[in-house]
Amino acid sequence: MTQQSDGSFRIIGRSLTRSDAEDKVRGKAQYLDDLTMPGVWYADVVRAPVPCGKLLGLHFDESFDWTQVVTVKPEDIPGENIVDMTGLDMPFLAYDRIQYQGEPLALIAAPSKALAREAVNHVRAEVEELPAIQSIQEMVERHKTGLADSLRLLEKKEIRRGDAEGVLAGAGKVLEGEYWTGFQEQLYIEPQGMAAEPMESGGVYIRGSIQCPYYVAPELMKVLNLPLEKIRVEQTVTGGAFGGKEEFPTLPGGYCALLALKAGRPVKMVYDRHEDILFTTKRHPSWTRYRTALAEDGRIAAMEVDMILDGGAYTTISPVVLYRGILHAALGYRCENVTVRGFVYASNSFPCGAFRGFGAPQAYWGLESHVEDLAEQAGLGPDEFRLKNCLQEGDITPTGQHLLTSVGTPAVLKEALRRSDFHAKLARCDQGRPGAKSWYGIGVSFFAHGAGFTGDGEAKFGSRAAMELGRLSDGRPGLTLYASSTEMGQGAKTVLAQMAAEGAGLPFDRVFYPLPDTRVVPDSGPTVASRTTMVVGNILYHAGHKMKCLLEEAAAKHCFGGASVRLEGGRFFAEGVEARPFEEVAEVLLAQGEPLRTEHQFALPPHIRWDQERFVGDAYPAYSWACNVAEVEVDPLTLQIHLRKITAVYDVGRIINPTLAIGQLQGGLVQTIGYALMETMQVRKGLYDANRLQTYIIPTALDVPEMDLQFLEYSCDELAPGAKGLGEITMNGLAPAIGNAVRRATGCRLCAIPMRPEDLYATLYQGAKD
Amino acid sequence: MNTITRTWNVNEEERTVTFGGLHRLLDVLREDLGLTGVKEGCGEGECGACTVLINGDPVTSCIVSAVQVPEGAEILTVEGLEKLELGRRIQKAYMEKGSVQCGFCTPGMLMSSYALLSRNSRPTEQEIREAHAGNLCRCTGYEKIVDAVRAVADELEQGTRSTV
Ligand code: FES
Ligand code: FES
Repeated sequence: MTQQSDGSFRIIGRSLTRSDAEDKVRGKAQYLDDLTMPGVWYADVVRAPVPCGKLLGLHFDESFDWTQVVTVKPEDIPGENIVDMTGLDMPFLAYDRIQYQGEPLALIAAPSKALAREAVNHVRAEVEELPAIQSIQEMVERHKTGLADSLRLLEKKEIRRGDAEGVLAGAGKVLEGEYWTGFQEQLYIEPQGMAAEPMESGGVYIRGSIQCPYYVAPELMKVLNLPLEKIRVEQTVTGGAFGGKEEFPTLPGGYCALLALKAGRPVKMVYDRHEDILFTTKRHPSWTRYRTALAEDGRIAAMEVDMILDGGAYTTISPVVLYRGILHAALGYRCENVTVRGFVYASNSFPCGAFRGFGAPQAYWGLESHVEDLAEQAGLGPDEFRLKNCLQEGDITPTGQHLLTSVGTPAVLKEALRRSDFHAKLARCDQGRPGAKSWYGIGVSFFAHGAGFTGDGEAKFGSRAAMELGRLSDGRPGLTLYASSTEMGQGAKTVLAQMAAEGAGLPFDRVFYPLPDTRVVPDSGPTVASRTTMVVGNILYHAGHKMKCLLEEAAAKHCFGGASVRLEGGRFFAEGVEARPFEEVAEVLLAQGEPLRTEHQFALPPHIRWDQERFVGDAYPAYSWACNVAEVEVDPLTLQIHLRKITAVYDVGRIINPTLAIGQLQGGLVQTIGYALMETMQVRKGLYDANRLQTYIIPTALDVPEMDLQFLEYSCDELAPGAKGLGEITMNGLAPAIGNAVRRATGCRLCAIPMRPEDLYATLYQGAKD
Repeated sequence: MNTITRTWNVNEEERTVTFGGLHRLLDVLREDLGLTGVKEGCGEGECGACTVLINGDPVTSCIVSAVQVPEGAEILTVEGLEKLELGRRIQKAYMEKGSVQCGFCTPGMLMSSYALLSRNSRPTEQEIREAHAGNLCRCTGYEKIVDAVRAVADELEQGTRSTV
């Protein structure tokens, strides 16, 4: 399914079996809840009963025997009562204002889950309820009618190139569209779980199902009043995350740590599914409005975008989601006059958070739906319009970035259109033809995803990783890698080891990537932003290369009498003598007792320039590009939308492991089928209305259509071995491709996802929905 | 407390276990028998992560009370698969085809594959999908799981042919 990768690699580009697969198929992998923890107690949370209000008092029922449990109230917090994320506006335990229903008020640990729950039920919060904001519709209404001041603004940001307002004011015709997206739950199958225990040295040891060990540790320093080195965080085998275990685990990690320190014993908290859906982060609901003017010749003269995200109750990471949202909201087509304005307002629901795509799926739902109307206005097919206007090598993005290297457009677009036979099928679309038994439609979307942190973020962060020669679990010599990047199912453990082994000139099975533990690993950054393969892979590839040189030197000295030595494919070669296998030489080197360790720090290509204040410059070190084509059949009677086929072509740079890459793509696309057609929840009376798997419906094996998937490898040569981001772009564009197909099938544009039969009915028979 | 003692054949071994009358089969397997390969993803019979076989039938062990499982029943969990020829083949196919990502759905998914292939060695694509429709996977998009099951079925068919 992929193109041949560069023949000069031995390990990169091969579909090696995942190194964690065997443990997982044997039931031996130990997730948090599988670990034995002698003497462990169970944590539970006393939660706010209203979405917005004032806390007047917390009453602990005197008839309950409180000596059987340990409680933590705001006054028991050893440090500051604050979650140390952007904004510093979220208390660990609410003590005055309540901003969402379910906000933690007190923590309880008990020897059994049942007792902890019983204790929680004996606490009563006395509150004065205040009016709450509970939907993005309400937010947008106030924003549009000049009442934005009545909302809590969490962040705003603007991108400006040329003079969009001026051009639009003078344009004969301005095309306008408004687009909406709802909440989405990550729905990793392993629920959230964390555990903490006091360390003899005085700190706390926290373990759990997490994406970012170096988020949890520093974010708990303030509340625990401990220095970083006294907070040890270790990842346990993680059963899926998708962003849901990015910033969130700091909360249960903190609950367990506070209780464990007070109780003087291990405490764990594993959410049940109901609790997990109700009280964890969701994808931000969004609204986008596009206003565009076309030039005579069918080019885009000016585009103005407004984007609003519902941030939920507190700031957390919403600003960063907004930045990614606005950076992608007009990223796709040539246009010299662009304005994008973004706002995050607070509502009274659980804080929204990271979810695969991170603002970009919301942006492309708007852009790629809107472009369909532009094409029609220009008198061009959706394929022709995109081919004519899409960004290509040498073009300039809305932030003024010149696209110069590894630009897989228009290649991805052309290939997807060709493979799906798009143009011919377009003519066959039914457009709601009366009397048809089934309405056929085809739709396309074109999109990108910036890989890594925004701008020069990677340069400022300076991620590091290391490796060391030692013995692996089989007792034989090998390299152990040290980085904080996490395996959460996506295959990082395997792919990073492949890149390290390639750099080091060793076989794959002589390189081991353990679960990160902040006690021993340097900070290679969080496992987010489609950065791990590109950035951390690059670091480990280089550290591997340094290791190869170190091993060659040491081998020359100790095993080859000073002759010049070359390590390749797991064998040491020297002029005039027989090659010796790595393991034999490594035994000699290990016996010397000198540590052989290398480290590398990430360096961005020096030409990357970014102005974070003005949002001008090189927004990302590299971009992945893709085109999705969706084919649907709509039943004219039931209005069921049947997705029949997906054709997807992706340029994500060099493919490290084709089987894993395709697996990421298939998984991301199916998650997007849920986003586009099935998954829906609203806040009603303070809580998400779909709060169990009976009501929050995600795709099963029966919901997956035929898929034709292809990678085109435009290797990012500045960042060897040339991978770009893959994880998130899988979710960016399928929803609008389906929306555009539904439009061609029914003649009717749906402006909101998910697109369900009742929404189609309401739009087809305007006003039918009450 | 009202306790019950049962002897079952668990993963080809006689195991006797004493549990509280209201305990879920899932808890007895995980906590009393140490079979933590069996996972809890929802506790409500919806995700299939806790799927085990009782006398060859797949059941979601989170909504079965242990007391309902009769004396002498044969229980098969993910830990027992490697003792069985078909189990090993399915495990190997999952590894080779890339059917495992985070692995949390895998123990339940494997049991559904085993239940299907032990009865129907030549399932159609639709039959494969239906047999796994009760197992949610958020990582793989199901394609590589279907591929693995199909690969084992093909292998079984070739095996039959070559012995004919
Ligand atoms: S845990 Fe039993 S079906 Fe989900
Ligand atoms: S592999 Fe993660 S849920 Fe299936």
